[in-house]
Amino acid sequence: MISPDLTNQFLAIVDSARWLDKKEQLFCYAYDAFVEESMPDAVIFPETTEEVSQILALASAHQLPVTARGAGTSVCGAPVPARHGLVICFSQMDRIIEINTKDRYIIVEPGVVNADVQAALAPDKFFFPPDPGSMDMSTIGGNIAQNAGGPRCLKYGVTLDYILGLEVVLASGKIITFGSKNIKDVTGYKLAALFCGSEGTLGLVTRAILKVVPLPETVKTIMATFNDLDDTATAVTDIIGSGILPAAMELMDQLTLNAIEDKAGLGLDRDAAGTLLIEVDGVAEACDKQIRQISQKLHANHAVHIQEAESAADRERLWTARRSAYGVFAKLAPDIISEDVTVPVSRVPEMVRRIIQITDKYKLKVGVLAHAGDGNMHPMIPADKSNAEEWERVMAAFDEIFRAAADLDGTLSGEHGIGLAKAKFLPLVMNQDTINFMKTIKQAVDPDGILNPGKFV
Amino acid sequence: MTAPPIQNCGKCGLCLSVCPVYQVLKQEQASPRARLQLIKAFEKKDLDASPLLKDLVSQCLMCGACKVVCPSGINHYGKFMDMREQLARSLPEPPAIRSLVYLLAKEYRLRMGAGLARFGQRLTPKFLADKYRIGNIPVHRFPTMNAAPFRQTLPDVIPARGIRRGRVIYFVGCATQYLFGDTGQATVDILSHLGYEVVVPKGLTCCGIPMMFHGARDRAALNMAANLTAMADAFDNGPCDAVIVDCTTCGAALKDEYPGLMDTLNRRPDPALSGRLDILPPDIHTRIAGKTRDILSFVHEHQTHLEMRPDLSPNKVIYHAPCHTRNSFNTAGTVTDLLATLPCFDYIPVRDTAACCGGGGTFFYEYPEIAAKMMAGKLCHARDADAQYWLTDCPVCRINLHGSLSEQDRLTVVHPVTLISRGLDA
Repeated sequence: MISPDLTNQFLAIVDSARWLDKKEQLFCYAYDAFVEESMPDAVIFPETTEEVSQILALASAHQLPVTARGAGTSVCGAPVPARHGLVICFSQMDRIIEINTKDRYIIVEPGVVNADVQAALAPDKFFFPPDPGSMDMSTIGGNIAQNAGGPRCLKYGVTLDYILGLEVVLASGKIITFGSKNIKDVTGYKLAALFCGSEGTLGLVTRAILKVVPLPETVKTIMATFNDLDDTATAVTDIIGSGILPAAMELMDQLTLNAIEDKAGLGLDRDAAGTLLIEVDGVAEACDKQIRQISQKLHANHAVHIQEAESAADRERLWTARRSAYGVFAKLAPDIISEDVTVPVSRVPEMVRRIIQITDKYKLKVGVLAHAGDGNMHPMIPADKSNAEEWERVMAAFDEIFRAAADLDGTLSGEHGIGLAKAKFLPLVMNQDTINFMKTIKQAVDPDGILNPGKFV
Repeated sequence: MTAPPIQNCGKCGLCLSVCPVYQVLKQEQASPRARLQLIKAFEKKDLDASPLLKDLVSQCLMCGACKVVCPSGINHYGKFMDMREQLARSLPEPPAIRSLVYLLAKEYRLRMGAGLARFGQRLTPKFLADKYRIGNIPVHRFPTMNAAPFRQTLPDVIPARGIRRGRVIYFVGCATQYLFGDTGQATVDILSHLGYEVVVPKGLTCCGIPMMFHGARDRAALNMAANLTAMADAFDNGPCDAVIVDCTTCGAALKDEYPGLMDTLNRRPDPALSGRLDILPPDIHTRIAGKTRDILSFVHEHQTHLEMRPDLSPNKVIYHAPCHTRNSFNTAGTVTDLLATLPCFDYIPVRDTAACCGGGGTFFYEYPEIAAKMMAGKLCHARDADAQYWLTDCPVCRINLHGSLSEQDRLTVVHPVTLISRGLDA
């Protein structure tokens, strides 16, 4: 509960249209795209860094938990206010401050939507590579907090690789800035790496200088099908292992592909046990050469059919298939849970086998989908949360999937983050001293623990 | 075949990227995902019916964009309609909305209302008319009433001209009947020019969508019964190639909402409808639904039979795609293709053709501030395009677009059929 007196102090910072504390409103800030919910006591919408600073200073003085939120599209519960308190929602702090493609950067406020960054850069033929599935609605602040990835991060790298500088408000309300407009900058600690991926537990980003890159002149897309899922996964390992780096390399199993075909009727091969969607980009000649090399590897791994997109529309058709995977799977049961364990690419075939063994054991349906080129698996399990017995099997299966990933030198999450979802599995991939080191940093930066309490650190 | 499972909202948030209200307000409680959350809380009795809850649920254009994009296939539309109905029981709609629903529920009331309004429009002193606004629209920018209700001006059957190619039923909605007779006349002219005999059944009334959206589904069901009864004879007495609508919202009623409402009524019969639905021919609602076509995609399909005057000078036009054209009929692309093809148009694509104007039935009246923000960008781009006509195939969008322009704007808002019919070779 926030006292009327404290409410008035917040209302001295923002106008009443940017302060929500009615039960009906608060219900709408209890969730993200993960399955657990927790209600805040109030929601505030800052528009400037100074307001964020004043809000945090006031929250600190009253030991009020503060959880940052952008568009609420996290899939791990990161913006869910586990300890209630105040949600700071950045959706209205959404100005693009500067576009400078000559110096290859863009400066934005945290509430700018990823797709709006892309749209702003497109006229100059530039882009911002991180492309999470939520890019049409997720905010840059959220992308930074979660260190978001996406299909093309295989070649281009993830959000952290594109942060040149940040302005961050600390729990105390102090404003710090680090990094610069320079591609090279080794002045002091690389603090971006501390805050990017911290899921709002260390500080709140209020401005970001992001590196942008030119759009490639050519994009080529192929789809290959296999009679054997193992061959499919081995082809991935073989291609990446031979030094070819496609922009994206997506794996879909038979169940996923058939579910897509049932819904969308895109003319996909229903008999294929495994399918790879591969995209290369760059200079036309290099693309042609890469496609030839990739095709050889695909054939060597017993691909039965390889088709190259003939036109932009055809390319769109193949990507529509991939993009609709989550949606069609979501319709197979009342609920769906998808995780993103990640393994070194050479272990992809083994990880795929293990996912299937584990879900078989628990008698669950699974769609195996992966940003396979970087080992980022996306097993999706459709189930009914109201069926306690089934839901228990789902949880047990994911428990084993996390263990299997750890066993294969993998990690808990490639791009979704830890949040509420995976905190208890941290010891699988980190020793206690490492966890303690994170706690030490947290303690130093946020001594009262007001920032996103109840999460992984 | 097992029935598909009942889907839960996975809260993925994709609906945020297409919801016109969220895009303007940028606060979660104004999103489709949040409305589903509120409905769930209400059903679980975690929330009581309150004015704020009603406001959050009503702050929605019922445009259906969320339903189209939803990966879980949730029927937002149906859920929102149910919820509006439940809330209306304990929290009545504001008087202006209630009187609208009352008027639309019975054709004779509407006819009388229209007569009075026409009389009123003649009597309202200019200084008053200039001063008052409904929503953001000054009263004098509202359309004037048809001199006579449109259907009264038509014979029951309009014969085909030239080679007879078939027979269609024309569902004339309220807006054409009372406000935009020009749209109706053009639709009839085009259809008969294309070689179709046009049947306008007697006894048509409001499609019922306004009632459905304002929690009066029982009244909407009465209108549905009246309309199905009115069309059944014409539909079964001879081959019917299509049931044509000039308004895609009426079309959505015929195509989607009637079958849905009939299913509901089969499960939970309404005594007030006894003797009204059971007399209908079997499955007439699904057969009519299957034949329902919007006039523009019908023209698109039959454009080879369209003979335009050779001396036509094309009109510079821009287009506003209404929500039901985009989300229920999925024909916005067909319409722009038609505009780009026919010689009567010099079509200028505008960036935000598909962006919502904020009309949304009565939304522009209930939430003028939000509606104004939606319109602001559209107006700028429309003015920049330097066109003669702003075309749209929805009467509410037409009222809203025209009402938001001023006397200085030389931009006339009409249904595309008006310009097509003017270009026909007699």
